[in-house]
Amino acid sequence: MILLESHNVIIQTTLGEKIAKPSSLDVSFVDYDGVRFHLSTPERKTLLLLSMHTRCWDQLVQYGALDVLKREYGSLLKPSSEPEYNVSLEIDLEQIPSGAEERDAFILSIALFKRNALAAPFELAFNTQKQLEASGSGQGELMEIHYRDEEAIYVQASADRVTAIFSTVFADETDRIYGKVFLQEFVDARRQPAIQNAPQVLYSNRDPPLEIRHLALRNSEDIGYVTFVLFPRHFSNPSVQHATISHIQLFRDYLHYHIKCSKAYMHSRMRHRVAEFQKVLNRAKQEVATGEKKTVTGRTMVSR
Amino acid sequence: MSQLAPVICDNGTGYSKVGFAGNSDPSFVFPTAIATRGSGHQSSRAPTIPSKPGHLASKRGVEDLDFFIGDEALANAKTPGYSVHYPIRHGMIDNWDHMERYWEQTIFKYLRAEPEDHYFLLTEPPLNPPENREQTAEIFFESFNIKGLYIAVQAVLALAASWTSNRVTDRTLTGTVIDSGDGVTHVIPCAEGYVIGSAIKHIPIAGRDITQFVLNLLRERGETAGVPPEDQMRIASKVKENYSYVCQDIVKEFRKYDAEPYKHFERYEGEHSVTGRKYGIDVGYERFLAPEIFFNPEIYSSDFLTPLPDIVDDVIQQSPIDVRRGLYKNIVLSGGSTMFQHFGNRLKRDLKQLVDRRLSNSVAASGSAMQSSGVEVDVISHKRQRYAVWFGGSLLASLPEFYTSCHTKAQYDEIGPSICRRYQIFGSAT
Repeated sequence: MILLESHNVIIQTTLGEKIAKPSSLDVSFVDYDGVRFHLSTPERKTLLLLSMHTRCWDQLVQYGALDVLKREYGSLLKPSSEPEYNVSLEIDLEQIPSGAEERDAFILSIALFKRNALAAPFELAFNTQKQLEASGSGQGELMEIHYRDEEAIYVQASADRVTAIFSTVFADETDRIYGKVFLQEFVDARRQPAIQNAPQVLYSNRDPPLEIRHLALRNSEDIGYVTFVLFPRHFSNPSVQHATISHIQLFRDYLHYHIKCSKAYMHSRMRHRVAEFQKVLNRAKQEVATGEKKTVTGRTMVSR
Repeated sequence: MSQLAPVICDNGTGYSKVGFAGNSDPSFVFPTAIATRGSGHQSSRAPTIPSKPGHLASKRGVEDLDFFIGDEALANAKTPGYSVHYPIRHGMIDNWDHMERYWEQTIFKYLRAEPEDHYFLLTEPPLNPPENREQTAEIFFESFNIKGLYIAVQAVLALAASWTSNRVTDRTLTGTVIDSGDGVTHVIPCAEGYVIGSAIKHIPIAGRDITQFVLNLLRERGETAGVPPEDQMRIASKVKENYSYVCQDIVKEFRKYDAEPYKHFERYEGEHSVTGRKYGIDVGYERFLAPEIFFNPEIYSSDFLTPLPDIVDDVIQQSPIDVRRGLYKNIVLSGGSTMFQHFGNRLKRDLKQLVDRRLSNSVAASGSAMQSSGVEVDVISHKRQRYAVWFGGSLLASLPEFYTSCHTKAQYDEIGPSICRRYQIFGSAT
């Protein structure tokens, strides 16, 4: 598994089971970036309520998340959300599409709840870019999405591109080093001819990029900034745009996932090496003195 | 920001149960299997070629990411190039490389949780060596940077799960756990949260044997004639799960079935998975005979002949004398193979008979001078028996004491993996 999937597996499997066999339910679970979900059947077995809480909900609303969710889910979106959560969907199991394929598509669209909510600022930026391109110059608003306690995504549209900047904090010393190597590799990998079309990636440690330098940012060694420059070809047609958003918003999780994978790989190599050394140790035997030892005068040495 | 729910991860030999604390059921139950690419089975067949130094280092690809876990692993078992491994053997972790990657994908693909933000509760079998616990802690703290870790003994969690039963009045961690899964059945005495290791007993009869026994019975009666061979095992296990119950008296039950077969015989209807051809079988005596192998093992096996109630009694008699009353009073069932109807009642009755007989013998031996006040025997069945261990974990991890009993990342960094050799017992009311 190289890429992380953008849909939530728990929503997908639970919904699939409940459509086949409705029963009462009350589960809470999480998704990346501290998103909390609550799936329950408060009234009757066939009426599922899916609520989501995310840290950056206010910012997302400001950048049009409600419109995106309304477009995706239409009447499923409840006007008022469950207490303690930001937004709720109401799914009536009796009114879902009947065809197998349509049903799977429906389930998948629900499982993409978080992705769709977080897609709003990116969509807004892409649209702004189109307007700016038409007018020829200017800069869009710098959108900040503080999706974690100390980390944020900054998205800004310009006339010819959209810039997305991720700030990421490495809590662990080892992680930071892995992260640095990994991100530099990211920058270098683009030089390969096969992936020339990928968005440009810039990485800076400690110093924030120019676009966000005017913001009051905490300055410390353990913060890194990754800048993606998206050109119109990355969001020209809807399907490419969809894929771009899905991939880019999971970037931080992708990075941290791979740091962990690299560590696991390192550990397996260490175990392998230790096992090899152990074999060498097991082969080693104490030398047994062979033959008699005599002194120069011809007397034998006897060990007592 | 409010605390995110702790992750409960119960990795068993056959199945892993994973989910978030506070829920009543695990979010995922899948086989503890990992399908990796590469020379998995080659090593067992032929002696491996000695690896050149730097052989591993020259690998620059992403082979280490190319693997599947759980149901996907079994689905890919026949894909050329993949081989399936079971990293846990007899409840203990056997292959740490595979297990580390198994956890990696459990967390990132299925739970979609960031390990940095969560506390984890893991389970271990009784008598797990402390070295294993240290290894686990190393993986979780160093690879995944989790916030805090608690490793609990499965039997203790099963006891905690029984607190939901309305027959349990005091939340105690003293009791006997009968844990019967697919492969083996354990009888484990616990005193105030600590396992009495010297008294543990294993019974080589569990879910798989019951299924095999049902299949034998069906075959002997000639019911399986119309059933495709590849489906027979599955159907036997369906029959076991859906129709079986424990009777109080076999002879009476046989008579009942013979007198009114139409009332008691059930009909199982199936469909061939490929051709779609329908077939049906009659389900008869195996309904009550299947779980009977716990109580009369001689009907199934010829090498293991001690009935379950005798084993439980032995286990308690081998435990220290001051906890025996507590062990008799709180016998807790856990695992799928204890889910049969009336299983608890039958066990309680048989055990009570054994205990009473011994008491009356000792009264007679003492010349009837001393009268015993009797020993209370109780077997607790509850609704959450199937995933009792996981549920117990979910229950304990939602208590506020959980966070103080965990070892945190800071403590680990300060002291090292040896910190995880000991864990504080918490949650009991006594």
